[in-house]
Order: sequence, then C-alpha cells, then structure tokens
Amino acid sequence: MKGRHVRYFFGKIGLFFVTLWAAITVNFILPRMMPGSPADAAIAKLSQNGPVTPEVRASIEAQLGMPQGNLFSQYWQYLGDVVHLNFGVSYSNFPQNVSDLVGAALPWTLTLVGLVTIISFIIGTALGALMAWRRGTAVDVTGTISSSFLSAFPSFWLALMLLFFLGYKAGIFPTSGAYSSTAIPNFSMDFISDAVEHSILPALTILLTSLGSYVMGMRNTMINTLGDDYVTFAEANGLRQRTVMLKYAARNALLPNLTSFGLVLGGVVGGSLLVEQVFNYPGVGLLLYQAVTNQDYPLMQAIFLMITISVLVANFIVDILYGVLDPRTRR
Amino acid sequence: MRRKTVAVRILATLVAGATLLGLGACGSKSGETQQAAAGNQILFGGDSGSPTFTRNFNPFSTSKRIGINFIYEPLEVVNSLDGTSTPFLASGHKIVDPKTVEFQIRDGVKWSDGKPFSAQDVVFTFNLVKKDAAMDSLGVWQHISSLEASGSKVTFHFKDNDVPAVSIVSQQNIVPEHIWKDVKDPLKWTNENPVGTGPYKLGTFKPNQYTLAKNKDYWQAEKVAADTIVLPASNKQLDLVNKKYDWAYSFINNVDKTWVGADKQHNHYWFPPGGTVSLYPNLTKAPFSDVNFRKGLSYALDRDKIAKDAEEGYVDGATQTGLILPNHDKWVNDSIPNKGKVSQDDAQSLEYFAKAGYKKQGDQLVDSNGKQLEVNITVPSGYTDWLRGVQTMQGQLTKLGIAVKLTQPQPAAYTQAQNNGDYDLLISSFGGTGSVFQDYNGLLNSEFAVPVGQSANANFERYKNPKADELLAQLKQAADEKSQKAIVDQLQQIVYDDVPVIGLFYGGLWGLFSTRNYTGWPSEDDPYTAPSTWTQSVLMVVTHIKKA
Repeated sequence: MKGRHVRYFFGKIGLFFVTLWAAITVNFILPRMMPGSPADAAIAKLSQNGPVTPEVRASIEAQLGMPQGNLFSQYWQYLGDVVHLNFGVSYSNFPQNVSDLVGAALPWTLTLVGLVTIISFIIGTALGALMAWRRGTAVDVTGTISSSFLSAFPSFWLALMLLFFLGYKAGIFPTSGAYSSTAIPNFSMDFISDAVEHSILPALTILLTSLGSYVMGMRNTMINTLGDDYVTFAEANGLRQRTVMLKYAARNALLPNLTSFGLVLGGVVGGSLLVEQVFNYPGVGLLLYQAVTNQDYPLMQAIFLMITISVLVANFIVDILYGVLDPRTRR
Repeated sequence: MRRKTVAVRILATLVAGATLLGLGACGSKSGETQQAAAGNQILFGGDSGSPTFTRNFNPFSTSKRIGINFIYEPLEVVNSLDGTSTPFLASGHKIVDPKTVEFQIRDGVKWSDGKPFSAQDVVFTFNLVKKDAAMDSLGVWQHISSLEASGSKVTFHFKDNDVPAVSIVSQQNIVPEHIWKDVKDPLKWTNENPVGTGPYKLGTFKPNQYTLAKNKDYWQAEKVAADTIVLPASNKQLDLVNKKYDWAYSFINNVDKTWVGADKQHNHYWFPPGGTVSLYPNLTKAPFSDVNFRKGLSYALDRDKIAKDAEEGYVDGATQTGLILPNHDKWVNDSIPNKGKVSQDDAQSLEYFAKAGYKKQGDQLVDSNGKQLEVNITVPSGYTDWLRGVQTMQGQLTKLGIAVKLTQPQPAAYTQAQNNGDYDLLISSFGGTGSVFQDYNGLLNSEFAVPVGQSANANFERYKNPKADELLAQLKQAADEKSQKAIVDQLQQIVYDDVPVIGLFYGGLWGLFSTRNYTGWPSEDDPYTAPSTWTQSVLMVVTHIKKA
C-alpha cells in the first residue's frame, strides 16, 4: 500500500518535469516560427506614421538584428538562461531587462485578476448553490438566464461598453491606466485609493464575464448531488435545511468547481489580455500583447514560460490533491 | 457546524468589502480630467508608453522617448513637406563646392548644464555616430568623407559631389562632448538625465507621464511660449478628446465630428500629405515586369475614389510622377498632362492589357490560354485605412475582369515580405523626406535593388534603370535650383512613363491641434513645418506658438 503511494507521487513528479521540459522547448521554438524579425516589427510600427527612410531602416536593423548564432547554440544558451532565470534584454523596451518589465507588470495583474478571480469564484459558487437549492423558483430562473447571458458576453465587448458609458459618457471612472498619470506607485493611502478607482472598470468586466461559469457549474453539480441518497438520508433524518444545503450537498458539489478554479488561478499570471488591452492596464496581458506585436522574443519567452509554469504547477497541485482526496485515482 | 460559520463569515466579509470598494470609488471624483492643461502648459499626445514609460533619453536608441526632440537640436531643421530648412545650432551654411559645405556654428549657445556649446561638440557627435552604423540613423557617413572644426566653423567634405547631403547632415542631433565622451556603450546607455541645447529640459519623470520644463537659458527663449509640456503614456483616442489635449497626432475616424465636434471653437486639424501610398509591383516577376501590364493596372484605377474611401476624403489621389502635391508644386513638370495625375480609363487600360497579352473574354480578362488574370495584393493587417483603399481598388479591378486576392500578414511579416521581395503586388509608401533627391533616390536607385530573398531597405519593387541612376547622380551634383529642376523634370517623366510603382493616394500626416491655450500651430495657411510629433519639427512648433 505504502509503495503504491510513493510510486504515484514519484510518477507525478517525473511527468511534471517531462512536461516542463517540453513546454520550455515549445516556448523556444514557437516565437521563432513567427514570420518577421524584431527589426521588421519596429520598422512596421514606424512606417504607420509615414514612409521610413532607407537609412533609418538600416540603423534599426543594426540595433535589433536577429539573435546571434545558429538555432542549436541559441537553444543551449536559452536553456542555461532559463535555469538562471535570466531572460536577457527586451527588444521593444531596449535596454530594459525582461525581468524588470515582468516584475513591474506582475503585481498589477496578480492583484486585479487574482483578487477578482477569487471574488468571482466565491460569489459564483454561493449563488450557484443557492439556485440549485431553490431550483425552479424565481431566484433560479433569473439566475440561470442572467448568468448564461453574462458568460456569453465577450469580455472585450463588455469592457468597451463599460468604458464608453461609465468612463467616457458619464465620466464616473477613469478610462485608462492603473493609476493617475501624475502618481508614483507607492504604498500610501492616496495612491492605493487612486489605484482602486482605476481598477473598478476592468475588475467589473472580469467579474461579470467569469461569474457565469462558476454559477452554472455549481448549480448543475449541486442539483445532481441533491438527488443523491445521502442527501435524502440527511433530510429524512430531519437535519436543518441549511446544514443539508451547505454541509451535505454544497461541500460535495464544490469539488469540480474547485478544480476549475485551481486551473484558472494558475492562468492568472497571464493576465487578462483583452481587458488589459482595452483599459491600457499595465499588467502582464498587455505586456504580452506588446511583446507579440513587437516580435520581442526575450519578453515573449519570459511571459509564456511564466504562464506555462504556473499552469503546470497548478495542475501538479491539483493532481496531488486528487491523489490525497480521492484514493481511487492512486490506482 | 463550526467550520460552516467561519466560511459564511469570510464570504460575508468579502462581499461587504467588495461593495464598500465599489461605493467608495463611486463617491470620489475621477482625478484624470483635472489635468486638462492648467496654466502655461501643453498636453501633448506624441509619446506612448508600452504600456508605461522606460526612462530612455538616448537620442541614438530605437526605443528612445520622443521627448528628446525637444531637448536636443540639429544644425538645421528641415521641413519634411517642402525641404526648406531653418537654422538652429548652425546660424547658416555655405556650399563651397558640390563636395564641401561649411556650417557657421551659432554663438552664445549653452548646454542645459551651463557649459558652453561649441563646434567641437558637433565634430564629436559626428565621430560618435561613425563608430556604429546602428547609431547613424541618418546615414551621414554614407556621404561624409571627413569633417573638421576651425573656430566656430565646421566644414564637411563629402565622398562625391553631393548637394543633397547638406540637408542630411544638418539634421543630426548634436550631443555634448563633455558628457558623451565618457559613455562606454553609447547605444545601450539610457541617458536618464539628458543635457541638451534645446528649448526644454526633462522636468519630472513618472512611469505614466513625464513633463518637459522650459529651458530658461535657451538661446531663443523669448520665442518659447509654453513653460511645461506634459506627455502622458496613454494617448487613446478617447483620452485625446476627453482630457482636452492641446496637440496630438492621430488618424481619428470622422474627425469633424469626433475631434472638432468636441470643441468646435478650438479644436482643429491639419492633414497635409506626407508620402505617396502606392501599389508596388514586383518587377522581378512576370507579368509585373511588363510596363504595358503596369499601365493597364494604372488606367484601371480611380485614384480619387480610392483616396476618399481609404482616408475619408482628407487626402487626394496621387500623381504618377512621384511628387507629392501640393508640397512639391514648384517642381512640377508642365509637359506632363494634368500634373501627372492619371484618370481612370477602361478603354486605355484594356488596350495596354492587350499589349501585355491579356484579352477581354466575356466579363473576364484572360491570358493566351484563356485563363483568367489573377493578382495577389499584400497589405499589412491592422492598417485599416489602407485596407479600405485596397478593397475599393479590388472592386475596380474586378469590374475589369481581374480576379483579385488579398493577403494580410501581420505588420512584421509584411515588412519582411516587402524587404525580401516576397510578393506580387504590395501596398507601401515612399517619399515624404522633403528632399526630391531623397524621395526619388529611395524609389528608383538600383543600388537598393538587391536580389529577391535578400533584405532591401528601399526600392522594394526592385527597379533598375541606368538612365534613372544617371539622373540621380546628376541631381546629387546640381547645386542651383534651375539645374535641379531640369533633372527632376526628367525623373518625373521616367516614373510617369515607366510606372515603377502605381501611385494611389497621399498618406496624410494627422495633426490635431487645439487653440484653447495656444495659437500659431502649423496649418494649411501657415505650413511652416509638418505636424509630425515624433520628429525635429516639434522644435519649429514650440518656437512658433503663442499664448492664446
């Protein structure tokens, strides 16, 4: 019995490292398969304003030429850099270090997207449980309709609508950025309230568009659980309604929702690309978008790697947790 | 039992917290709108962060802050519309012979750290950019053979007879020797506290916004009206209108309603032509190598309609001579009909296509095997104005019986396709330097026409004509305008007759201005400089505008 445990966990750890290596390698190959070089991207950006002289083109190509060495030596160098967490210098923000850029963007994304994801999970799950408990009533019907309606909204569209009506037309909320243009990031009360004010529209967008899936997921699983024998048994025993709802039905129905929550949390470091883009919110999503449009290989690699690793780690933790929670998976 | 209560409490606290956050924020007024140009300042939408600003004021770096153009000055500022120049760090120049030019360096100019500026700084700067081609974005060392300073004079010796080189070297931003001589890697240095001679110094720098403060010791400080220039990192079109920008550069859809409509009394725009957006045929491929085929295409197009659909009527259809009108009015060759503007003429078009071997069969234009003519046009994705123009063009060609396919790669992939000659027909633009020599040189000089597969920096259509090369060489040597005009006349004739590219419409320079706080912005009536916000022309603007 004990040996089987150890084998399960070692197997999982081995698989984790193989997947990690594969992800790191794909991460190296993928950006290089995109047509065009960083210099091409910089020239394209300039030529949107007007024709670019041949001399400017030549100097940009000299500054942002293709990486040195053949593909294999680049790959070898890259593996070494990844181990040392050294991602080099960004092309589009030359000569800034990639790690500084990511470090500056990460806190904004973690606080905004992370916090909203947690809030959305809590509210969504609670609402879903309530709706399942009162299935068929007005609460359930309105809840089901509005959450399927909300989750069908594309997040960028909702973002644009909120931006246009609440930000531009009504002027209640700021329309872009994570803080006022004159502010310097620090931990003073003034700055924090300024940042909170700037985060409301993006937060609202992410909340409204992500809420629906938690509500529906929880509601549907819980309706299943409510039909299970042990719930009927608990009710027959005359337990209080609230106890039956929360402790018997909701607790068991929570598992699938928790899994998807874990995976979403893993992806939080990737930010919310479209929402950050609409609100010009300086998070990882916007940074990634700009890295891709500028063919900024080092920056792209660092962000993709960060996203892959956190999703992998989240997956790994969920795997291990499943092994602990559900003995059947260990076989 | 116990656990449940805790969970419920946490949930309740979170919900309450979230609600409070929301309420608190609704109560406080948005601080953003308060920055609408208070006092003596200009809100300038010319530099965008990605998404925040990197503090890089190195004028030689590709990712420099645009603000350097207010801080550093060249010898002369060249108007990119008509090529005229205004003296800045040089008080004037004398062309000694077509191979030699003398710049008289201005007296009494100081660097913003108080040290005097001299001819030595000019020589130092040119020698600095000589070290690394990556720093030489004007390509001055493609022209200069040597330079020296004597007293307050700097003399340039060119490799050949090279009159156009005068305006090229005059545009080099000059940096102080006493600071840059100690810089180890001048390309990677971020120059966080720039010292220049220009009208502004760096004021405050924050990741979301920086300011430029007026340089009180500037040599023409009396001409500089604004004390501060504010440059936010985010300049979305909504912000331009909402936050009441004084000066910005943006192609806004329906500008009369969106920008002017927001403040009819003050908001203006000026969209002069700044380049010729053209259909580039790949001259290394049949049938595009056949001049009759290119003329067939040219006569098939209604340029004014294409211009109107692409740019909402703010620019005109282009001439087929390579000039930009009205900027280059004084160069126009009068013997070419209608200033070189080709009108749509289906009969002419079919005649030329017939010469190229394509006949009308039913409603299709077919080759000798009866197969319909099919062309592929490459246009970068996301350039929505160009795309609209191309769609109109597609309609016009389809009507004539040609099947038109569009390829829309990402901008970087498009640039690669253009540079490597990996296309059939492609939309691109040329010109707009102000100098007719530079404009024609980039379009026609066979020196740039490297084989397909290698990256070209100009002449993407890969045009090779010894006559054109010869004329360009002559134009380089022509010192007076009369002899230049005679050569430019012939170059126009070549572009008109040989159709190396098919001019479509002029690319606009999208200058937005508000006269709420300042007047005297460049305009159609007073075109003293182009409305480009990322070039040295900002020096002209800040020394022209007056407090409203």
